[in-house]
Amino acid sequence: MEPEIFNERTDLTELNQAVDQIRQTLSSIIIGQKETIDFLIAALLADGHILLEGVPGVAKTLSAKLVAKSIDASFSRIQFTPDLMPSDVLGTSVFDPRSSSFEYRKGPIFGHIVLVDEINRAPAKTQSALFEVMEERQITVDGHSYQMDEPFMVLATQNPIEQEGTYRLPEAQLDRFLFKIEVKYPTLEEEIVILQNQHQQKLEVEINAVKAVLSIDKIKKCRAIIKALHVEPKLIEYAARITHETRNNKSLYLGASPRASLAMINSAKAIAAMQGRDFVTPEDIIKVAVPVLAHRIMLTPDKEMEGLTPADVVGQIIQKLEIPR
Amino acid sequence: MGKLDSVAGKAAIRLDTTKVDLRKFDKSKLEAHSKGTDFIYDDVPAPNLSLWDRFWRWVWHLIGQVLSNKVSGGLIKYLIIIALVGLVVFIVLKIIGADLKIFSRKSQIVEVPYNESDDNIHEINFSEEIEKAIANTNYRLAVRLLYLRTLKKLSDKNLIHWLPEKTNQTYINEINDSDKKKEFSKLTHQFEYVWYGEFFIDKENFNAIKDTFERFNLHSS
Repeated sequence: MEPEIFNERTDLTELNQAVDQIRQTLSSIIIGQKETIDFLIAALLADGHILLEGVPGVAKTLSAKLVAKSIDASFSRIQFTPDLMPSDVLGTSVFDPRSSSFEYRKGPIFGHIVLVDEINRAPAKTQSALFEVMEERQITVDGHSYQMDEPFMVLATQNPIEQEGTYRLPEAQLDRFLFKIEVKYPTLEEEIVILQNQHQQKLEVEINAVKAVLSIDKIKKCRAIIKALHVEPKLIEYAARITHETRNNKSLYLGASPRASLAMINSAKAIAAMQGRDFVTPEDIIKVAVPVLAHRIMLTPDKEMEGLTPADVVGQIIQKLEIPR
Repeated sequence: MGKLDSVAGKAAIRLDTTKVDLRKFDKSKLEAHSKGTDFIYDDVPAPNLSLWDRFWRWVWHLIGQVLSNKVSGGLIKYLIIIALVGLVVFIVLKIIGADLKIFSRKSQIVEVPYNESDDNIHEINFSEEIEKAIANTNYRLAVRLLYLRTLKKLSDKNLIHWLPEKTNQTYINEINDSDKKKEFSKLTHQFEYVWYGEFFIDKENFNAIKDTFERFNLHSS
């Protein structure tokens, strides 16, 4: 008996077509980085924000711009600099002499897809401007709340903290990112292809030729489907156990919040749907565990000095937990 | 020398010959003063103490009394020494990072609705449990048991290395024989649809699944 003969409960055809289209668009320009592309799509479908971290020159900004370009939605970009003020992000009230009243001018945060480039080059004061909008999809200025239009997604890029001129992002803000994806160097073969494309001036042409393949309505539809996917109760418990373990781990100074558990389940649903399933398996949870948890936990100073990484600790936690079956 | 002599001559000591009038205190007045409130310092009016202050004053008074007692004071001295030694040991253990869970209270055990988590595939009587599940028309559980039995058989034949922490995909990857790998992948899909996906299966579908499992087990034996 093939799995196909199980009666179809959820129609994932449209969703899978959309995923294929956006994956194809991104893969045609971004060489390699298939996992990064998949997580970008998963975050979009799971209604989450994404933080891309990598050394300069590994196509973080290009990836984010392409995601924005492949969606038929408004796009805005904020370049985070050390002197950026919260009002430069959110907008400000300006006095209108004609009406003798203050008028609110919306900042660049008002967009469907917001690219926050070099996010960790602005200090904590500016970062805090993003807290409300990232979590509640609204901003409050001068006592008035302004709702963001759906979909609202922050795509942020940053250099590793060891790089010159960067600040560590506040924990509260890191917790608001669904995934932190570490963009690695390409392999030798991939780099050769990048150079060939650049040499043949293909890259620029291809970037300009990118067309929106996903409409806002389609994204909303896909998100609704994903929300309704089936998660077996033992798998919910499994995700909760992983998060709980981060709070009792000796290598960790700060464990993950319940928001991390929610993020794990939501993104696991998106991953399951992208694979054509309407239910989550333990593998889906394990796949998202590192990108969901690694940026939300903090190592103890001694473990940090030993060279352990948060991803290593998440891996250790997963390896010691029994798979529910 | 002559100058010195002349100075010495001038510095002759003069005697005070004034008559001293020795006054005597009136004893009755002295006695009256000594009994006066200004003279008796012990009689300073006590400050207005709160109930809390009074309690602590009583506690310290009690401690003072206990410590001044030869028997109880000696015992307490040793108790204090033991407590200090314990504190030093605790700090040392903390510094070297030893597991101090024995000192902490056990966390409350939360009952979870998951009675399969403690399963050991090497201890389950599969034939009996599968029969029971079929008799109860619990085909979902029966499929789960069929899958666990297959894992056990693969483990017994060293085709996989069983560990509860491993995922199904890990077991698939561990099988080297490509045909077996393909067949086991199919079984895994069926198990995942029934167990994680909670897809409904009737008797007919279950029998078909059961046949696939039994065929696989027969071939791999």
